[in-house]
Amino acid sequence: MLDGILLGLSTALQWQNLLYVIAGCFVGTFIGMLPGLGPITAIALMIPITYSIDPSSGMILMAGVYYGAIFGGSTSSILINAPGVAGTVASSFDGYPLAKQGMAGKALAIAAWASFTGGTIGALLLMLAAPTLAKVSLSFQSADYVALMCLGLTAIAAFSNKGTFLKAMMMTVFGLTLSTVGIDPSSGTERFTFGNTDLLDGISFLLIAMSTFALAEALSNVLKPEVKQANSEQPMQIGSIRLSKAEVKEISPAVGRSSILGFIIGVLPGAGATIASFMAYAAERNLAPKALQEKFGKGALRGLAAPESANNAACTGSFVPLLTLGIPGSGTTAIMLGALIAYGIQPGPMLMQDNPDVFWAVIISMYLGNIVLLILNLPLIPYLARVLIMPKAILTMMILFFSLIGVYLVSFNTFDLFMMIGFALVALVLRLLAFPMAPLLLGFILGDMIESNFRRAMMTSDGSLSIFWDKPLTLGIMLLAIVVLAMPLLSFLRLRKAALKQ
Amino acid sequence: MLNRDTLGALIFLAFFTAYAVFAWQIPLLPFEEMDAVNSASIPKVYAVLGLIFSLLALLAQAIKRQHNRDAGWPQINRRSIGQTAILLLLMWVYTALLEPIGFLLATSAFLSAGFFIMGERRWRVLLLASVPVAVVFWLIMTKLLGIYLVPGELWS
Repeated sequence: MLDGILLGLSTALQWQNLLYVIAGCFVGTFIGMLPGLGPITAIALMIPITYSIDPSSGMILMAGVYYGAIFGGSTSSILINAPGVAGTVASSFDGYPLAKQGMAGKALAIAAWASFTGGTIGALLLMLAAPTLAKVSLSFQSADYVALMCLGLTAIAAFSNKGTFLKAMMMTVFGLTLSTVGIDPSSGTERFTFGNTDLLDGISFLLIAMSTFALAEALSNVLKPEVKQANSEQPMQIGSIRLSKAEVKEISPAVGRSSILGFIIGVLPGAGATIASFMAYAAERNLAPKALQEKFGKGALRGLAAPESANNAACTGSFVPLLTLGIPGSGTTAIMLGALIAYGIQPGPMLMQDNPDVFWAVIISMYLGNIVLLILNLPLIPYLARVLIMPKAILTMMILFFSLIGVYLVSFNTFDLFMMIGFALVALVLRLLAFPMAPLLLGFILGDMIESNFRRAMMTSDGSLSIFWDKPLTLGIMLLAIVVLAMPLLSFLRLRKAALKQ
Repeated sequence: MLNRDTLGALIFLAFFTAYAVFAWQIPLLPFEEMDAVNSASIPKVYAVLGLIFSLLALLAQAIKRQHNRDAGWPQINRRSIGQTAILLLLMWVYTALLEPIGFLLATSAFLSAGFFIMGERRWRVLLLASVPVAVVFWLIMTKLLGIYLVPGELWS
């Protein structure tokens, strides 16, 4: 492991990679601060750039953008009560009241320190957990992978908002169906191409990500303008960003607990920063003494520190399944998987052996990213906050332009752009109908992997499905997936029973 | 009026039905017909899963309907719908014109038209936020990174 850390350090500390971390954090913060734009959009916009640099630098850049976007999301949650990212909604509960009391600077400093600690503890745990898990997962076979991917897909739906389970499942299957377009890699049969040669290669994942996130998010900001944005035009009083010793002492235990909780939740498939931050917030409120409990929601320091450390730790935790199993558990890691595959790198247990530089550079860059956020972004916040006043016309058009040209620069085919506009329209309608988008992305990315692993498994078993329950490990994962699938149904039935009784 | 969850489920029901129809028509290669799993198997599984979930969603709506009749439609004003539609159209036109008239001209026109649609009327902003962006981006791509960008088929 020491060799690995040294290798990671020497890769991540190369001057151009340092620049990528800094640039990534910066751009991520910028995009994350804009209400309505989340980390997936931020990363998607970076992908065309990463194609021209080497894999470890590309991953470092994207990881930097990821933290930056989460941090930027907290900033807009605190300053204008308009979270740019779902993962930072919980931060606005106590962050915004603090800002209204004229302590915006203090709130931002707490957010930054809590994120830093959460991210650093997360990175430490990742360093310990990933290699061990990678060793275990070396023994996984195709059938186990199929089972794991099924679990990942059902979990992201089960952990989505209340009442949207079926919507999320429909989106997952929609994503899976989109992945079947094009030539079938194992037999060469054309599927769903309708005689169109441009569809033979299938639909590129960048196209899907750009149209369902970057384009659709920018356009839905035009369609449903955020009322809250009006607030940002008032000059903001940031105030001091210093924390007193007593304050540090007050939040430290909350930060520690929330970081570990966040990391564990982040590792689980489907659950991510959003759930981690809400759970940490609820846990801290319950743990707090009575007097403090009443302050929650009105500007409690712990109430801000807990979700902030949890969401950053969860971001780090979500890299564990990606790096060790090659299975993303969230929309954000799904898009990184797509980028890795485009490089010709297959993440998974072999990643540590085949491309140790990528593996370790990503982990080391997490520490660097957290330091950059703390020392570079925090002092710059008052200036970055002005970005929120930038004319919306210019911002929207820039995002539309970069999305379109980003896809064009990769494929040099205008057919892709027409398809993208079509998907953006579809995504816009689905967003209006309150369908979640991340399951679509995850289904699309996992579609190819599920199919090839399924066929490999069936080949080894001579076409018998029993391979999915013969081994205890496979059976166990399969059962878990079924339980996850059945959970929302049970709660639906229970609610219905209660409603009928009334 | 249709509630929006029902509408969503109906759209997906229609989509998965169409998908299923095409999935059952995937032509199989001769050697594949004997295989347990062929190119059509997985799409068929997806089609069935999709149909199950969309039917379940419809069923859930039918049960829930007795309790709450109006699951809220978001409030959107006409002007925003118009703006969004024109932006989509503008993107379409940009894509269609990109290769014939070239990157520089198409992008400058796309950006300034977009600013105009979004309500920007100061001509200085319209020009300064579009042409320089196109030129700088073009310079970075073609001169610095050596990536070819269409100069325009009409004039070359």
